[in-house]
This record gives sequence, structure tokens and C-alpha cells, in this order.
Amino acid sequence: MLEDDLERFRSGARRRLLVLGGLNGVLFVLLGGRLFHLQVMKGGAYRVLAENNRISLQPVSAPRGLILDRFGKILVENSPDYRLAAIPELTGGMRGFLDRVAPILSMSEEDLETVLRQAKRQRSFLPVKVRARLSWEELSRIEAEIYNLPGGMIQVQSIRHYPYDKLAAHVLGYLGEVSESDIRDFHDTRFRSGDLVGKTGTERVYESELRGREGVREVEVNALGRQVRELKLTPAVPGQDLYLTLDTTLQQESEAALAGHSGSVVVMDPRTGEVLVMANQPAYDPNQFIRGFSSKQWKALVSDEDRPLTNKAIQGQYPPGSTFKMAVILAALKENRLTPEDRFTCPGYLDRQDHRFYCWKHRGHGALNLEQAIAQSCDVFFYKIAEKIGIDPIERMARNLGLGSLSGIRLNGEQAGLIPSRAWKRKVHKTIWYPGETLITAIGQGYVLSTPLQLANMTAAIANGGTLYRPALVRPNSGFKPEVLRHSRLNEEHLALIKKGMEKVYYAHSGTARRARPDFIRAAGKTGTAQVVRHRRQKDGELLQVTERRFMDHALFVCYAPADKPEIVISVVIEHGGHGGATAAPIAKQIMDRYFDRKRKS
Amino acid sequence: MSLLNHGGHRTSILASDIEDVPALGERLARFPWGLLFLILMVTGIGLGVLYSAVGGGENVSLLLRQLGRFGGALTLMLMLAFVGDYRLFRRYAYVIYGITLLLLILVLIKGSVGMGARRWLDLGLFRFQPSEVMKVALVLALGRYFHDRAISKGVHWRDIWTPAAMILVPLGLIVQQPDLGTAVMVSVVGCVVVFAAGLSWKGVFAGLATLGLSLPMAWNFMHDYQQQRVRTLFFPEEDPLGAGYHIIQSKIAVGSGGVMGKGFMAGSQSHLDFLPERHTDFIFSVLAEEWGFFGALFVLLLYMLIILRGLMISASARDRFGLLVGVGLTALFGIQMVINIGMVLGLLPVVGIPLPLVSYGGSSLLTVMIAMGLLAHISIHSRHAGHSV
Repeated sequence: MLEDDLERFRSGARRRLLVLGGLNGVLFVLLGGRLFHLQVMKGGAYRVLAENNRISLQPVSAPRGLILDRFGKILVENSPDYRLAAIPELTGGMRGFLDRVAPILSMSEEDLETVLRQAKRQRSFLPVKVRARLSWEELSRIEAEIYNLPGGMIQVQSIRHYPYDKLAAHVLGYLGEVSESDIRDFHDTRFRSGDLVGKTGTERVYESELRGREGVREVEVNALGRQVRELKLTPAVPGQDLYLTLDTTLQQESEAALAGHSGSVVVMDPRTGEVLVMANQPAYDPNQFIRGFSSKQWKALVSDEDRPLTNKAIQGQYPPGSTFKMAVILAALKENRLTPEDRFTCPGYLDRQDHRFYCWKHRGHGALNLEQAIAQSCDVFFYKIAEKIGIDPIERMARNLGLGSLSGIRLNGEQAGLIPSRAWKRKVHKTIWYPGETLITAIGQGYVLSTPLQLANMTAAIANGGTLYRPALVRPNSGFKPEVLRHSRLNEEHLALIKKGMEKVYYAHSGTARRARPDFIRAAGKTGTAQVVRHRRQKDGELLQVTERRFMDHALFVCYAPADKPEIVISVVIEHGGHGGATAAPIAKQIMDRYFDRKRKS
Repeated sequence: MSLLNHGGHRTSILASDIEDVPALGERLARFPWGLLFLILMVTGIGLGVLYSAVGGGENVSLLLRQLGRFGGALTLMLMLAFVGDYRLFRRYAYVIYGITLLLLILVLIKGSVGMGARRWLDLGLFRFQPSEVMKVALVLALGRYFHDRAISKGVHWRDIWTPAAMILVPLGLIVQQPDLGTAVMVSVVGCVVVFAAGLSWKGVFAGLATLGLSLPMAWNFMHDYQQQRVRTLFFPEEDPLGAGYHIIQSKIAVGSGGVMGKGFMAGSQSHLDFLPERHTDFIFSVLAEEWGFFGALFVLLLYMLIILRGLMISASARDRFGLLVGVGLTALFGIQMVINIGMVLGLLPVVGIPLPLVSYGGSSLLTVMIAMGLLAHISIHSRHAGHSV
């Protein structure tokens, strides 16, 4: 009975399935008929359409923003790059084509192989790049021969050009082909493979502003790949120009003053935190990243002990040496453990437990007050006051002056330096803080590390009365607003004492920079000499002869000028330069002389 | 007969319910090998076309990913075919349908938006499209409904309201997303099942008439871009760079393939960047351009054979449920193919439905292979399989 019902249903349903099967057949005929109509009956017409009427979407590249200095001088621009390309299917044999151009462009067999391989990898109606960066001579010879070179075409592309070559290379940065990690970092930007993107410096940090947005041109191209007409153009949006705070002339002068050394110079405006100069030597030429390196050139660049690719101003971490002493004095004054009248006697060393701490001048300085101690950079004076106040106030004051933490300048890879503390020692070295370590910290040795930029910023805070700015590299169109990191709340009387001591560095008889006084104004500064090798002195106090350069001390110098109304601060670090007063201070003098000479004349 | 009078649900206790599952050897023998062979052929050709569509070379990883997806989907198909008991699908048909309906509601509330539509549920590990599942769930639920009704004299007007609601509720939800292509598929598949269940011819014509009248209403409910697509179907030349662009370029691609095609990897239309969706929805135009009329017709033939095979399996199903589900799933496959190819050939509006087994993508492939797995299951448990008539 149930089976009957099912059977009846099944026979009914079968008829309906037959209808569906028939419908299937009808649809097959319909679709097949349409195929026949399009492909067989009108196939020829469509073939012509396909050949004559290839619509293609061509990207219109957006010009990248320029980078200019504070006076509008162009530091980075775009220049046209002429390249030869060829459409393989029109050349009548790519090999023959290449053999004809090879002598003109002096291309090696290896170069030709590369082009042929590329040609094989892509479709034969798309252009293959044969040679980029044609010289004017090559370009004109190719143009003259172009009628013998079917399928060949000259393409123009815009490439980045750094007119001052190595100038401020580390600040400007360079471009490179987009990589996986770049795509992650700039996830809002749509890249196509082979796109160039900022890799370091402002080129990277301001990538999104500089980049602009690519446009699209929809064109009809004929069978020869030539454009028949343009259908629609979505114009590219050019990248924004970037005005830096740098002063190109002063940057040039600073780099020249630094030439021959390995080191760094930072010049800042203490009133705003603007960076006028950030110079590093040795440097590299960013244009080379566009031209491409030979493997030998690249190896030389990477293995150079003086690290030409490093922006030492923010990445080099050096013991500040005696430039740290301002922080120690300010700490002691703040703790009320030191007065301007206090005098300490320096016999050339200080014995503590079983260790003898030497002054740099091991004949001794005699009795000194704090101004004299700064001017002559007496180490024993600082051992004694450090011993009185301990490490904690020194650490607090150093941090107050911006040491031991990132300055926040908008550049990649800035290092924070290091200001040691009891907690840090316990955490990293798993031991307690020893009193002797306070003494060597007080002369900027031991664990203390700082970058040239941090030293400049510290000096700026002293010069401007205690305001720590975020060092700025860019002046936005909307107007530059200095950004304050912190108001250090330094006592004005304390600052006046320090400043007086720093002036004496120049103008006292025995001031450590007395031989590097600037010509046109009165300045104030502090020398520093940072030991590279810890136990240079033997127990009996005799100096080891240090001849090998890599064991020589770093020379440091910080200063501001004019002393009464500071408008620039300079920090100089010369790796293995010896004494700060002898090597670093003269570089600062040169820079100040040029700056104030120009100012005087204008 | 007396059971019938007591009402629908009771009739689910039919003789066929009590049948045992055939032994493995018998299941292997009853497996529709021909169907599998056709599926493998279409997929193989599809991967070849895909290779060309993505430009070969560096993009070969796309191909491998698609191959991996197919491997996974094939495993699922075989599991569905061999494992489990026929009755389970029937028993849980309404449950599956109900859960899917809830997911469809959830997707409107919490789903992720892609290409201006809200279709996806993000499950952490993978994203998931409830509307895809609904296609199968609806077929199962309708099969169960008409199975329980046991209508032998055809479907009457009063019997139409429940199935109509079963179709219209998910349809409404899918239209909200909006996913016009899936909406069309769900409604056509639902209608085919109702038709196969025995809707009277009068009913069929009445339905067609209603459809004809409701089209202008549907027009008003469509998004602007959907209206635009319908309009450009008839006048593609009006907007050659906008909505008409796909259709014009697709027709040029297909037409220029001619009788013999341009050859593997040699389609100029397909390889200038004119079709943004050439490896997904418009892959058939790549096939037609490169393999010509004979190639395209051959693939079309393979599809038609798969559909015929599906109808044959349905005809031999052991009970009403099997028959109706088989028809529904076959229709699901067939409609998807017809809409896609019709769109590529400029016969139907561009609605964004992938070509089954060939287009790049996982969601639709999974649905298709689930459908094929269920068809194979129905075939294994057909009435010849140890079932006395």
C-alpha cells in the first residue's frame, strides 16, 4: 500500500524529471547556440575587435614629493630616467634586436641573457626593459637608429635624485624596492611589485606624505601595442613636498669640518628644538642606491669599520665623558650638597678601598670651586661630590635632561642610550650597585651611554633655561610649533653657575677649550673624552702607550652660542679622536664661525 | 492508505526507513564512478584554465591553493557518500535548516562586510558564508517536507504555503545582504523541488505568472548597482568603461576565440588586465578564448552530462526524500553553471556567481562538492541497493 503510494509518486516524478532533463537539453542548446553565434558566426569580427581594440589600464605614476631645506633649497628631487624597452613580438626576434643595440649600449653577453630571460617570462606583446639610465649620447644614438629597431621604444621614468650627493644622507634616507615587511608597515598603501619605497630616513618616515596616489589611464591600444585613444584618465595625486629644518649651507660646512673623521655633529636651535644640522661621517651617496651597487662596492660599504650606513647622531651610543658633568653638578646643587663656595683639593687621584681613581691630569688640579672644576674638567672634584650624593640624584637629573631615553625625533632606529641605576643594575647584572661605580658614572664613564643628539638636546635645555624640546626635523606648511617634552624645572641660580663654568671652559686660562674660542661671539661649552678601553692605566699610574686607532678615546664637545642669548647648540662626537678639547672643540668652532660670520654679514 | 489519512509526519515510518545500510563492497559498486570521473575532468580542465588566467609563473601558488581546496572538498564528498546513514539527513533536515536560518540572521547583525555586502561570518579560523549552506539546507528541508506529506496526487494550493515560506524567509534574508546571485539560485532551486514534488501544472503556470508580475516589484527593491547591471545587460555599449565593461570585454574574449581558440596561455584579451575577475567569475571567457568553440562546447557537454547523471540518480532514489533532494542538488549545480555561463556570454546580467568546479575560490566549491557527495550517497542507497521493490 505504501509501496503503491511511493510508486505512484515515482512515476509522476519521473515524468517531471524528464521535463527537467528536457529543460537541461534546451539550456544546452541555448548556451551552445550562443557560443556558436559568438565564436563561429561572429568570431572573425570579435577577433578584429580583440586585435584592434585592446583596452588596457595603464598606471600613471604620482610624482613623489620633494624634500627641501628650511630655506627652500631642494635636497631631493625627481629627474627623468630614459630607458630602452622592446615589445618582443614586434622585434622580429629578440636576439637579433639585442645584437643590434648591444654595441651602442655596450651591453655584455650576461646583460643580454638577463633581458632574454625576462622576455621569455612575460607575454610577447608587453614591453621588456632592455636598459635603464641611458646617457644622453646613448639616447641620441638609439633615437637615430630607432627605425632599424622595430618594437623598440624609449620610455621615460621619474627617478629620485639627490643633487648634493652625500649631504645629509642619513637624514634624507634612500628608496628601495618594496619588500614584504614594507607592505606590512604601510598596510594602507597599495603597492605593485617593483614599486620603490622609502627604506630609511625621512624618505621612510614620511613615506605616506611623499608618496602621493597613482592614477589610471584607460587606453585603447591597437595590435601594434600603440595607443589608439585614451578613454578615461584618473589623474595621479602628487606627493606632498617636505620642508626640513635643516640649513643646507651649515650642513655642508659641518660635514666639511667633520671630513676625515668618523663621527657626528648635531646643531640645534635651543629655542625650538629644530635640528639645523645632522651630519655624519663617513656617509654614503643615496644616488648609488638608485644606480645600484656592484657587490664589491656594497661589501666595502657594509664592512667598513666606520659604519657609513649608520646615522651615528641617533644610533651611535657613546660614553658622554665629561660632558656629563653638568648633570652631576646640577644634581648636587639641587640636593643642597654643594655651594658655589665649596672647594675641593685634587691631588691627581682619589683612593677608595683598594682602588685608586685618577684624575685625567695626574699631576693634580689643586683646590677648585665648581666653576673651575667645570672649566678644567677636574675628575677628582666630581668623584668627591658624587660620593656625597650617591647615584640616585645623578640618575634623576640625567633623565631630567633627556639622557637615557629616546628623544622622539621622527627618524627610524633611534637608540635610547643608557643611564644606569640601582634597579637597572639589579635587573641586568643581578648584583647590587657599588659605590665605586657612582664615581666613574660621575665622569660619564662606566655604564653611561648617550647619542650625539641627546647631548645636543641636553645642552639646549641648559642653554634655554630648562625646557627639553622634541628635536624636530620637519617644518609643516601649517606652521612649525615646537613640541615640549618636559619643563625640567631647573633652578635659575644653579643654571647660571653651570653656564658660568661652561663659559670658563673657553675663557679661563686653563679652560679645556681655550684654544678653540669662536671668532665672532662669546660661547660656552664643555669638553669630553670618553675612554674606549677601561683599564688603560696601569696600577702604578703610568700611561699605556695607545697607538692603535681603535683603542683611542672618543673626543666629545658640546656648546652653545652666543653665551648670553643662545641661538644654536652644537654637539660633536669624534670616534677615536683623542681629547675633546683638541679634536672636537675646533670642529664646533669652525661651525660657529661660519654661522655667525654669515649672520654678521647679512 | 489509512496512515496517510492521519496526517503527514506519521508516514515517515516507511519500509525504506528500516532498510540496513548496504555492505561496503556493495556501496563501492553503487558509487557513481561516472559522476566522479566527470567531476575530475571538469576540475582538471578548470585548473589548466586557472593556470592561464592567473598568468602562470609566479602565481602558481594560487593554483596550488585551489588544488588543495579541491582535495579537501573531494575528501568531504567521499565521506558524505560512504559514511553515515541516509536517514540521518532526513531526520536532521529541519534542524540543519533552522540553524542555517539563525546564522543568516546572525550574519546580518554581526557579519563582516566585503565588496559592499554583508555575507561573511568570521569564525576566527576561517570565514564562512551561511547563504552557501542555505542552498543545501533548503533542499534537505523541502525534501523532508514533501516526504512527510506523501502527496501522491500532486501538490495542491493549500500545500504550497509552508514550502513557500521555507523558500521566502531565507530568500528575504539573503536579499538583505545583498547577494542577488544566491537569492536567485535559492528561489529557482526551491521552485524546482516543488515542481518535482508534483505541483500541478495549473500551479506551475500560476507560479510563472506571479513571477512575471513580481519582477517589476523586485526591480524596485534592487540596489542601484544591481539595476545598473540589468540595464547594461541589454545595452552594454551605453557604458563601455563602467558597468558594460565586463560584458563587452567578456564577449570580445569569447568571440575572438573563434572555432579553434587561441591556444593555451595565448589569449590576448584574457591577459591584458581588462577583466578584474578573470580567474573567478569570468573564467569561462578565458576558457572560450583560448580553447575556442570546440573546447567551450566540450566543457558545456561535461556539465550537461553531470546534470543528466544527477537526474538519473534522483530517478532511482529509494524514496521521496532521496528523489527530491537529488533533484534539488542537481538543480543547484545546474542553475549555478547556467547563470555563470549565461552571464559570461552576455545572456544574463552580471550577478557574481562562480562557475562550479572551475572558478577560483573555496566557498562555492565546498557547496558544490557537498551536493555531489549527497548525490553519491543517494546513489549508493538507491532502490536497487538491497531494497526489494
